[in-house]
Amino acid sequence: MCDTCGCGHEHKVIDVNQSLLKANDEAAYANRKHFNEEGILAVNLISSPGSGKTTLLEKTIDALKHEIGIGVLEGDIETELDAERIRKKGVPAVQLTTGGACHLDSMLVHKGFHLLKLQLKGKRLDVLFIENVGNLVCPSFFDLGEHLRVVLISVPEGHDKPLKYPKAIKTSQALIISKSDLVPHFDFDMEKIKKDALSLNPRLKIIETSAKTGEGLNEWINFLIHRLHR
Amino acid sequence: MHEVSIALGMIHELERIARENNAKKITNVKLKIGKMSGIVVDSLTFAFDAVKLENPVVSDAALSVEEVPLVYECNDCSKTFETDNLYFPSCPVCASYKLKIISGEEQHIENVEIEV
Repeated sequence: MCDTCGCGHEHKVIDVNQSLLKANDEAAYANRKHFNEEGILAVNLISSPGSGKTTLLEKTIDALKHEIGIGVLEGDIETELDAERIRKKGVPAVQLTTGGACHLDSMLVHKGFHLLKLQLKGKRLDVLFIENVGNLVCPSFFDLGEHLRVVLISVPEGHDKPLKYPKAIKTSQALIISKSDLVPHFDFDMEKIKKDALSLNPRLKIIETSAKTGEGLNEWINFLIHRLHR
Repeated sequence: MHEVSIALGMIHELERIARENNAKKITNVKLKIGKMSGIVVDSLTFAFDAVKLENPVVSDAALSVEEVPLVYECNDCSKTFETDNLYFPSCPVCASYKLKIISGEEQHIENVEIEV
């Protein structure tokens, strides 16, 4: 009989000592191993909705699609809209719709990667872009097995975002400050955003870009190519 | 909102633990959540209490959460100190920013109490 509550059952305490994110972390490990074996650089793009992740991808594809093999996993709560934009650029894309969840997890990426391979039909893949669901909070908790996490903050969002969303900055290797052509129209302090971001993560690579004027796109492409050949 | 996903993953693991230990029910789950884990304990408890109802093995389980303080050790003077400053802490003795985190990032299940 149970001493604690007198319920007539036996109670036992089992030591567990495991991460709350165990299932995701194990699948992320398997994804990364798989990407490594195939020589694929996996890049996880995270940002708020509307920062320009898909537009940056379109520009990146324009610049690189004849040089390297690119594939894209598009994360959204609903619709195929982004995958359709990417396919128009002549690159295979799989839309991952989470049906409500505010982030991708590594199990969904695993599934998406295999669907992408069917579209590739044996063609070589060098860089896999994973465009996460637009959200600056939750995606930063979930390792997808990527090699490179890139966070975008656009000028209209404001220079205070690194301090407000520190985990996104701390877990990323690069920060793209997008829509830089809009700086003259906003009270946006470029020095402050860089200083705050670097104080959170001193090794962060920061690139100002504008898909409109082309500013910074070469620097971004060179950064990617450098990572690919490392 | 990631707390809902975390609660769902937790239920999945608890079902496995119950199965492996021939448990009729899980009655208590003890978690350790660090101050800097980014998990909001109230949100996680709310999410867990909502999603647990779908499974009779865990539907009566209570969560007990130990919140782990944020503790750093200074690389320059070796002072160990607790702080509430999550992102820009410095050593209270020598003001150094070269710090090593000792605790505060925990996000794990410590143990579970089962009924057999």
